[in-house]
Amino acid sequence: MLDLVSHLGLGFSTALSPINLFLAFVGCMVGTLIGVLPGVGPIATIAMLMPLTLKVDPTGALIMLAGIYYGAQYGGSTTAILVNIPGEITAVVTTLDGHAMAKKGEAGIALGIAAIGSFFAGTVSTMIIAAIGAPLTRLALVFGPAEYFALMVLGLGLAIVLARGSVLKAVIMVVFGLLLATVGTDLETGQERLTLGIAELSDGVDFAVLAMGVFGIAEILRNIERPETRGVEMGRIGRLLPSREDLRRSFGPIVRATGIGAVLGILPGNGAVLGPFASYALEKKLAADPSRFGKGAIEGVAGPESANNAGAQTAFIPLLTLGIPPNAVMALMVGAMTIHGLIPGPLIMTKHPTLFWGMIASMWIGNLMLLVINLPLIGVWVRLLKVPYRLMFPTILLFCCIGIYSINNNPADVYFTAFFGLVGYVLIKLGLEPAPMLLGFVLGRLMEEKLRQALALSEGSFMTFIERPIAGILLVVALAVMVIAVLPAVRKGREEAFQE
Amino acid sequence: MSRMTSRQDFIGGLVVIAVAGFALWLAGDLPSGTSGGIGPGTLPKGLAALLGLLGVLLVATSVAKEGSPLERWSIRGPAIILGAVVAFGLTVRPLGLVVAGPLSILVAALAGEEVRWRETTLFGVLMTGFCIGLFKFALGLPVPLAPWLLGY
Repeated sequence: MLDLVSHLGLGFSTALSPINLFLAFVGCMVGTLIGVLPGVGPIATIAMLMPLTLKVDPTGALIMLAGIYYGAQYGGSTTAILVNIPGEITAVVTTLDGHAMAKKGEAGIALGIAAIGSFFAGTVSTMIIAAIGAPLTRLALVFGPAEYFALMVLGLGLAIVLARGSVLKAVIMVVFGLLLATVGTDLETGQERLTLGIAELSDGVDFAVLAMGVFGIAEILRNIERPETRGVEMGRIGRLLPSREDLRRSFGPIVRATGIGAVLGILPGNGAVLGPFASYALEKKLAADPSRFGKGAIEGVAGPESANNAGAQTAFIPLLTLGIPPNAVMALMVGAMTIHGLIPGPLIMTKHPTLFWGMIASMWIGNLMLLVINLPLIGVWVRLLKVPYRLMFPTILLFCCIGIYSINNNPADVYFTAFFGLVGYVLIKLGLEPAPMLLGFVLGRLMEEKLRQALALSEGSFMTFIERPIAGILLVVALAVMVIAVLPAVRKGREEAFQE
Repeated sequence: MSRMTSRQDFIGGLVVIAVAGFALWLAGDLPSGTSGGIGPGTLPKGLAALLGLLGVLLVATSVAKEGSPLERWSIRGPAIILGAVVAFGLTVRPLGLVVAGPLSILVAALAGEEVRWRETTLFGVLMTGFCIGLFKFALGLPVPLAPWLLGY
């Protein structure tokens, strides 16, 4: 306990330094700004804004990126409530009751309770991260390559189970991602693999390039097909502070959602995305009068929004302690850390304690900032929505281009981004969700490295994965999870769960 | 094709099989493994084979079930947008951001439903100015501005 206090003390003294405060502030602001734009989710936002952090020291860069991430999440909810456009997938549930509240003239209260719930959830999850960060890191340090490999297999298995839509398609995308990860020079023999003789590919496919193409550019390609939705109707925002009655109604949902969101957020793949859906379903079941839901029930905003924020934050746990990114956003964080010469994993905490704890403390500060800066700025965000898409998409495109070019100062990266944009577009058209691919891609390299290390240690015997108890158990669980997912009974239940 | 076929999955499966085949062909001459470990070719080949298998499975299941039809594809919009990105890549080094910025915005704007030349040109120039201020001066990123004019 004393440890925790001194660690958090170190964190706050880092995060509260003027420069880091400024970076957190800028991150939250631009994150919200971009997050408000429809069709630009958190992944594209972070990929696009990554260059902003190139010249900052690693701690500051990660603080800023984390700010961008929360900002993007928050921006998505704002538009969900005000104009019924979920800025990103986790805000989809919020549109149901949030926008209904806005129609009743209670937009301000919906925004207010979303902010309050998020802040509460953020505070709790920050404490969770701080509390279990250290023990998990110690656990991770005793993990050998075999355990790591098994853990990542389990991670991918869970990601597949939690993915939306067909299990088969999710498996396909994960395997595709793993295959993409093998492109480049072989780690041990230095042989070029699947590079087509292209020199730029000898270091493998760049993660930022892939993410920007598949999420940033492909989104634009898809959005221009749809006719522009004009005339954003905006009612009165009204007062922002919820009444005592509103707070009383929301308290339970916020607490429950924080728990659900925090647990689901740690899980790989769609975990953080499922939180809001799960919370909404739960509150609807618990409600004395479920028919109020969908017509502006404040519980339907308070719960999902809290779950959303809790999940967004606990998703950092696997990344910071084990070095395994649980989802695409965290994978981008890996990319950002690598650019700054940091290798995510258990050593981050022991070798860079100011970075680790500073980032955790800044999460809380970022949440507070969002609460304070966003509510007064709602008018600005709404005006932003009125910018026509014909001006918006060329701008987003230019930002993407400059961003990608700046990472390595190499025009080839720009061409690859265009190529992966096309790939992403084709995948979406074929009903293949690109998110699991990105996860497979990120884990792919790590997995191959650990697999070969483990086999080198065991002199080529695959028995090592069974003989080592932890690795064996993890693999068995992974197998069980996959088998359960394809069982007909569970499959039906799963489909129903995603229907809601 | 019968009405019971999910065309989207059917074609998706074929694409997956094609990708897997391509990867298998590329990985063909990589050594597959040595005693005491796995070689550089093991994983690419294994994964490609697995991917192909999954593709076959997708095709097989698509025939047996009803599913989404193929979405409408457009070629013009995506081609123009990707063209704008490529145009940026081609011009940024030799001509700098001063040219690449407005050019990519102008090309991209062609993808819209209506093209307003004056508005777009003005907007492209202003936006480029903003980007130069932000990325070049405020952030100090080494994006070339106008090498032919300024030397950087």
